[in-house]
This record gives sequence, C-alpha cells and structure tokens, in this order.
Amino acid sequence: MPHIPEDELHAYLDQGLSRSQAVEIESHMAGCSSCRATRDAIAALRDHTTALLATLSPPRRLPPPFDTLREQAADRVSTRRRKMRLGTWAASLVAAVGLGWTASSLIGPGRTASVAAHQTNAAPQVAAPRPAVSLAGADTGGPRLAVDRTPKATPVRLESTSRPPAARRALQKAREDSIRAAKLAVLDPAPVLELSPLEERGSDQGGQLEGMWRTMSWDGAQDETGRSVPHIDGLPVLRVQVQATDQSRRPLMVVAQQLADGQVIQTIEGPAADVSELLSRRGGTSTDGKLGVTVTEATPGIDQAMAMQLGDRMLAITGALPSDSLRAMIRRINAEMRSK
Amino acid sequence: MSDELEKLYQSTYTAVVRFLYRKVWDAERAEDLAQEVFVRALAHRPDKPRAWVFAVAANLARDEARAAVRRKRHLTLLKGDPIAQPTISPSADDSVEHEEKMASVHEALSTLTPRDREILLLWDAGLSYPEIAAQTGLAVGAVGTTLARARRRLVDAHDRQQNRTRLGDNAAHS
Repeated sequence: MPHIPEDELHAYLDQGLSRSQAVEIESHMAGCSSCRATRDAIAALRDHTTALLATLSPPRRLPPPFDTLREQAADRVSTRRRKMRLGTWAASLVAAVGLGWTASSLIGPGRTASVAAHQTNAAPQVAAPRPAVSLAGADTGGPRLAVDRTPKATPVRLESTSRPPAARRALQKAREDSIRAAKLAVLDPAPVLELSPLEERGSDQGGQLEGMWRTMSWDGAQDETGRSVPHIDGLPVLRVQVQATDQSRRPLMVVAQQLADGQVIQTIEGPAADVSELLSRRGGTSTDGKLGVTVTEATPGIDQAMAMQLGDRMLAITGALPSDSLRAMIRRINAEMRSK
Repeated sequence: MSDELEKLYQSTYTAVVRFLYRKVWDAERAEDLAQEVFVRALAHRPDKPRAWVFAVAANLARDEARAAVRRKRHLTLLKGDPIAQPTISPSADDSVEHEEKMASVHEALSTLTPRDREILLLWDAGLSYPEIAAQTGLAVGAVGTTLARARRRLVDAHDRQQNRTRLGDNAAHS
C-alpha cells in the first residue's frame, strides 16, 4: 500500500474522517514507520499553527449576561414583526376578507340601516363626503386607517403557543409594538384600507364591517372599474366596497344602496368564484376553524340573493325583496353594465 | 430552544469573539459583533445554532470589512493607520513582546488566500469538517486538503518572517 497522503493525515488528526477510514489509516501506520513519522510531523505542525493563532486573541473578557441579549432579541423581534406586519397587510387582508367581509356584506341590514341614517340625507349618490376615497363608517370624516387590534390570523398569534414565559413576553411585547406601529400608520394618508378586529366579531355586532377592504367614493369606484360600477340607477348609494385584488383584473365590488323604505340592497359583481363563495356563506351559521370565528345570519329568510353568471364574472344582488324584484333588478343592472 | 442557545453562548462566545477578532482586528468591535450574532440567533432560532452562529459571524465580519474599505475611501488616513492592525490591550504585561509576536502572526496569516484563511479560522474556532464544509461550500473531503495547505503556509510564512527579522537584526548589529 502506498503511503498515506498528508492531507488525509491532517483529516485523521482532526477527526474529520469516517470511522472506517480512520481504521484503515491506523492499520497502515501500524506497519509503516514512515507514515508514523509523517503523522508526528503533522501533529507538530497542527500544534504550532494552533499556538500561532492563539497569539491572535483579544483580551479575554466576561461575556455579558445572556438575559441582556434576550432583551435585545425581544426588541429585535418586535421590530421585525412591525416590519412584517406592515409588509403583510395584504396577507392579513386575504385572511380577514374571506370571512369577515362576507359576513358583514351579507348579513348586516341593521348596521347598514344605521349608516343609512347618517348618510341618506347627504348627496344621493356619494358615500364619502370629503376625500376621493373614504373609509367604512368613517363618521369622523377624513382619511383614517383603523387598525386597532391584531387579527387572529397574524403570524404573531400563530407562534404564541408553548413558549417559555420570557419568549411569550417578548411575543406579547412584539404584538403590542406591532399594534402601536399600526396606529402610527394612521397618520399616513396614503393607505385606504381598513382592518377591523375579527375577534370583535359577535352577534351583537353582526353588522359591523369586517376584514380589510376599501370603501370607495362613488367617483373613485367609477374610475377604478371603468365606470361600470354595479348598481341600480336612481337609488342612493350608501357604500361602495372593493376587495383588493391584483391590479390586472376588475376587483370584487359590493355596492350598497337604499330603497325608499330604508331597506338596503347590495349589488355584488366580481370573479364568479369569489362571488359564489360569498353567496354560499349566506344563510345559517358558518364557522371558519382557522380564524375561529362564527358568523350567524342576522335575518334568515328575509334577505335573499339572486345571481347571474356572465363568463368568469358573476353579478349578484341581495336584499329583502321578492325574488321577482331581485330578478328584474339584476337584469337591469346587467343590461346597463353591458351597455357601458 | 432558548436554553440550548444559552448553553451555546456559554460554550462558544469566546470562540466567536476570537474568530471575529481575527477578521476585524478590534477587540471591542469583535465583542459587539459576537453579541449581535447571538441576539440574531435568539431572534431567528436557527436549526443548527452552532454552525449558524459562525456563518453569521463570518457575514458580519465581511460586512465590517467592506464598511472599513468604504471608510478608508472617504477618510484621509494617517500613514500607518491601524485599521488593519491588531489593537493591543494596554494591560498586557509583556505588551511589547506580545505585540510583536501578534503582528508577525497577523502578517503571516494575511499571506494566506482568503479561503484558506477562512477555513483555518473556522477550524480553530472549533467547527468540525462537515460544519466547515457546509459553511464554505467545500466538499468535506477537501477540508483536510485545504487545512493541510493553510497550516503549512502559515507556519512557512511565519518562519520566513522570523528569519528576515533575525537577518535584519544581525545586519543592524554588524
């Protein structure tokens, strides 16, 4: 057998070889004085290197207590969460919109009626008095971003189980910080999104708008959809809600309008899958296990829905009206939208 | 998880500081960076914390070196600015002798290629062959080869330098 290469002896001495390789080398060295001598020389070289490098050592000082690093890490985590939170608004939107928006859009005549009380006497077709784009139930007026609590679906919540107390405190702090950051963002006029707390979801607030979506002014909605906002001509528009989607296609829209007797009807237009999903959630109780939210139909049997599919889009109308009336309305809306 | 990191901290903090010191040549900066590494580990909770810690340390040191280069470009440095020189603790007893020794090893180390130097320092910091391989992208089988070369070069460079110094001394005395 040829002599063992030097680099293999380095690896052997560094314990960087497999057990079988090491055994092989040992058995060779047992009968080869030359390789034993090489091994000794390499061992000396290793030691020499280590001794040289040892001179390149900083003065030894005691490390700071680990807890101080823990605190720094907790601060760091909260900052990261804050950034993540701002960055993942869209993701929260997706999670929150699915259920909350559905529920609020379809089961809440009580609340929409109260909005109606505020707004019916204003301009008949404009939901938002001041800004081009306003917010749901923005009775304070002016652009405002209401992010009061963390929705259940955020990463913070998902990670908060089975951690030691210190880590839990850090997460708690992170959550509070992220909320604080979100509140700071209120001053920023640019985003026109509303994120409402899903945990507030309850039967007593069944009509409150949920999820994250935009409520637009009539003009803004027309601009966004190329002037084809689904609606019934001649009725005051209470609210135009737009579900944020990618910019490439027309978004899902819900237009709430008020009849003379105070009834609210909602016209929904959007991708067929989204609209039918929305409608399928109507009636009875739907539970979303992931979000842990139960939604109860506020007025079962009264609100009715009528839908019409046009290619990959769907047009629907909901309201406490005879189905004939709804059908008539939907045909009219369809005709008007097609004519534009 | 946290406890595991704490144990790692107790066992490797000094090695991490030393590893960083041999890259940034500033004891305080090395300590700051080492603490930064562990703060990040706490925040990220990596799967293989030991290897992770040294990988992050290497990255921080690299960033630090780049920043130093940038500073160098922007500042008018005095001749012999100690930016790449070891800082010596003034409290060291044998400070002059130690300083000379340190400078000579530092110089010998700087003759190695960056890769050889990196692998030697990682080995000296206590990483195993597989850990070194994972961090540097080298095959495990090549770690021994690289270390063999790096050790030989370091010792040779240091010897040459000692000889030069001796010759210089002799010349000065004669």
